[in-house]
Amino acid sequence: MGWRPTLRPYLLIVPALLLTCGILYPFGLGLYYTLFDFSASKPQPDMVRLHNYETVFTQDAFWNSAWVTVLYAVGAATAETVLGVAVALLLHRSSRVGRVLEKILILPLMIAPVIAAIMWKLMLQPSVGVVNHLLKPFGLGGVQWTDTPTGALLSSIAVDVWVYTPFVAILALAGLRSLPTSPFEAAAVDGAGWWYTFRRLTLPMLWPYVLVAVIFRFMDSLKVFDIIYALTEGGPGDSTVVLQIRAYLEAIRFQRYSFGISYTIVLWAVVYLAAMVLVRHLGKIQRKAAEAK
Amino acid sequence: MDTHAHDRRRFLALTAGAAATPLLAACGAGFGGDDGKKGGGSAADDVTGSFDWKREKGTTVKALLNKHPYTDALIADLKSFTAQTGIKVEYDVFPEDNYFDKLTVDLSSGRASYDVFMLGAYMVWQYGPPGWLEDLGPWMRNSSATGDEWDQADFFPNLLHADQWSLKDGAPLGQGGQYALPWGWETNVVAYNTEVFRKLGLKPAETFDELREIAGTIKRKAPGAGYDGMYGIAVRGSRSWATIHPGFMTMFARNGLHDFTVDAGQLKPAMNTPEAVAFTQDWAGMVKQGGPPSWTSYTWYQCSSDLGAKKAGMLFDADTAAYFQAVKGASPASGKIAFHPGPKGPDGSLATNMWIWSLGMNAKSRKKSASWLFLQWATGKEHLRRGAITHNHIDPVRKSISQDAAYKDKMRHLPGFIETFETVVDQTKIQFTPQAQFFDATTSWAAALQEIYGGKNARSVLNGLASDLASKVS
Amino acid sequence: MTVRKRLLGWLADLALILYFVFALFPVAWMVILSLKPANQLFSTYFSFTPTLGAYRTVLGDSEGIPFVRFFVNSLVVSVGAVLLSLVVGLPAAYASARWRFKGSENLMFTLLSFRFAPELTVIIPLFVLYQKLGLFDTYVGMIWVLQLVTLPLIVWIMRSYFADLTPELEQAALLDGYTRKQAFFRVALPLVKPGVAAVSLLAFIFAWNNFVFPLILTSNEAQTVTVGALSFLGGDRPKYNLTAAAALVSVVPPLLLALTIQRYLVRGLSFGAVKS
Repeated sequence: MGWRPTLRPYLLIVPALLLTCGILYPFGLGLYYTLFDFSASKPQPDMVRLHNYETVFTQDAFWNSAWVTVLYAVGAATAETVLGVAVALLLHRSSRVGRVLEKILILPLMIAPVIAAIMWKLMLQPSVGVVNHLLKPFGLGGVQWTDTPTGALLSSIAVDVWVYTPFVAILALAGLRSLPTSPFEAAAVDGAGWWYTFRRLTLPMLWPYVLVAVIFRFMDSLKVFDIIYALTEGGPGDSTVVLQIRAYLEAIRFQRYSFGISYTIVLWAVVYLAAMVLVRHLGKIQRKAAEAK
Repeated sequence: MDTHAHDRRRFLALTAGAAATPLLAACGAGFGGDDGKKGGGSAADDVTGSFDWKREKGTTVKALLNKHPYTDALIADLKSFTAQTGIKVEYDVFPEDNYFDKLTVDLSSGRASYDVFMLGAYMVWQYGPPGWLEDLGPWMRNSSATGDEWDQADFFPNLLHADQWSLKDGAPLGQGGQYALPWGWETNVVAYNTEVFRKLGLKPAETFDELREIAGTIKRKAPGAGYDGMYGIAVRGSRSWATIHPGFMTMFARNGLHDFTVDAGQLKPAMNTPEAVAFTQDWAGMVKQGGPPSWTSYTWYQCSSDLGAKKAGMLFDADTAAYFQAVKGASPASGKIAFHPGPKGPDGSLATNMWIWSLGMNAKSRKKSASWLFLQWATGKEHLRRGAITHNHIDPVRKSISQDAAYKDKMRHLPGFIETFETVVDQTKIQFTPQAQFFDATTSWAAALQEIYGGKNARSVLNGLASDLASKVS
Repeated sequence: MTVRKRLLGWLADLALILYFVFALFPVAWMVILSLKPANQLFSTYFSFTPTLGAYRTVLGDSEGIPFVRFFVNSLVVSVGAVLLSLVVGLPAAYASARWRFKGSENLMFTLLSFRFAPELTVIIPLFVLYQKLGLFDTYVGMIWVLQLVTLPLIVWIMRSYFADLTPELEQAALLDGYTRKQAFFRVALPLVKPGVAAVSLLAFIFAWNNFVFPLILTSNEAQTVTVGALSFLGGDRPKYNLTAAAALVSVVPPLLLALTIQRYLVRGLSFGAVKS
């Protein structure tokens, strides 16, 4: 029975791949369509090979979108990670306050991002929104949250952070609770301070758990659409037109389908590369953590 | 080691993919899908004999509808359609923000999951050229398919024309195929809060300069007069074609300005003529002095609710937007909203832009005859009259209904509504130049307007817009 | 307890409370919004006459929107998707954590890569494909496409948990005569319960909240609440109170799930002892 044990891991993993590999067909088709110039004004398209990509890369609009997308993804993922881990650490103390609040930690995540963005838009509306109303006593009642390019981007990131921080926090908290207690007990006996324990023990052991969350968040925020679209539709000007919004506008709104999908293929490549880098990093960290034990 | 295997596998996948592309094409995921009747001749020609409502008894028609009072009125009345024709109607309702996504996906994939749907006049410029819309002209002209009571002459002529186009960029509306039927429409006029106007001693503006002045005055004085946080005029500002279409385009047209000029079939952008630049600057200035804070995220939701919440002294947008805030009990401002045609142009022009919700038929529908019966009924006198009087299906697209005593009675309690409507109706038409890149052009125009509002130089922004569009529309 | 420690403890609690104010205020505001009558939506902030009208409208399937049906659809589809992903994904996660075999990293990355494609790339071909296969507007169709959302998440997160288990326990079980399968079910799986609980909840929430796929790939048979909740907006006056009510009703199943599995998310000290 020599071959059986070596085959088993493959057999266990293959179903998962089979279930999801079906997406390759529509993806391949989408990719194929970008080689044409299908649009509402050209329903019988010609094959233009890579011309769409040429146009994409020479358009100012593309580089602007790429830049905004990266800013957004980095900003949102970083903020969510830092805040999520911080919240998890605070909850891990298991204070009375913490134990009560922990039960409702996940609530923001349960509001669909599409709806959360609409609600936030209402709240941030200066004329009838509740946020400015509450800020009035502090003299901040006139802030126009989404009217300036910076404000619009930051507000969008804020909504993203609001929705997804619980995602990181829950995974970090579960991770914290899975950590072995003996290293910490030993460190306490040795008289180690909180910061030392955190840097040398908690963080390295926790990081593999958190990094998986970061990978998912970073990839997803590169592809963001709902939140920004509901809040700003890409404005003011072009300041929040991320890649998937531009792709949507081109493909669906302006009916330049092949061209718009080319944008998404470029986005796909960006996500692919970013994930490769992050996952390689994760592998390294996991190996280090295993050695540390 | 692992990476080599990874790369090799990826390379194999790519070559396999390249080889498979002809196969993929053969499997064909429908660029426009399978064709129905090709090469001349409408399905309408198959309908012969005398007109009979029950001709397609037992069929089912699928409708895609936008969440709208027109839809509510339709759904409430569907039973009478089924009773009259024996046709069952299945419908899906989607919110407007996603409605057109759904429609676009269905039309462009050629699957024809929906036989009939709602659309606006501008959508004819987008869906018409690829052949996704059924030309309703043959159906209308076929007396076997269309009963006399449908009375084509009863429609406001400019409305029928607005959905009629030859599918050539730059060609005027009113010629060519009829790609949709007008169902309900909106003129773009000014609605204002009578209480604030009385308190501040204001009268509705007759010129654009006056309008700007009043907007600024309200923003300065109203908060002190008991209207906490009120600003002058609510106009749309989001990064969307819908920002240019209502008040802006109306005032633009009243100033005799055009979006494009057509010269021997060639379109040339005209948003950057000196007069247009000056006007755009003035409009942006008006927004800054008297418009809503956070204007760049304002859609008609925000504009209309601000009027109702007494945060805006005026609204320059669809008359229906104000109507729904004005009816009794709808909002804090209800009962205190009056209507006015808005400022005239320098030569007295009251050219007004409009939005028409229309009904269209999928060119690939397999139930065209039944669909046509549905369209006939939905745009017929009976249903529209019921809709206008019992529900809120306004403004009526039929002259008979707009003159109907019961309808007028219903609208009488809104100060100025009927008078305003009758004043502008003859000068109301689609002020844009029909062309397939409408949505791209107008969205970019809105983005440009946002930039000017944000402080960029109007002439350079609009010149940039014009040169960007010049290549796209030629 | 030194004064310093107590002070720091209070500061920590304060920080926690501040975060939760940020996190929960919008939700509280949505509750208020859902209880406001339609004509007071924008006129007052906190003083209003509360009414359950919005909930009655939403749950009463009025406004042409069969909300209750959408709710049931969401339940079926989300539970189905998560269960399927657990059945298929847990063994995969275990295998990739336990056995470092040739290509394991590649296969894992490939699984993850199926999520990389922006929805827009695939949505129209998928729409046509689903129609041709008869999966359009069906539960099976939705459960299958949602695997893209739930399966990579479950596999990748559970990998960390399985990798974290010291092999000694399972080795001990194997030496005692357990088969691999039994070792998995009797030893490994119970030890990663907190991970399974957390990831099932998260996967359920992502499946439940997914918007683009149900929007395009369903009609009225299998449409979900997220799309349905937005359907109340539009037309005359945007009825945000209805959308808020619908969104809050939609929160109930994930919330119930979260509360039920709370105890699995808490780790006892016993585990720590086992670890060392």
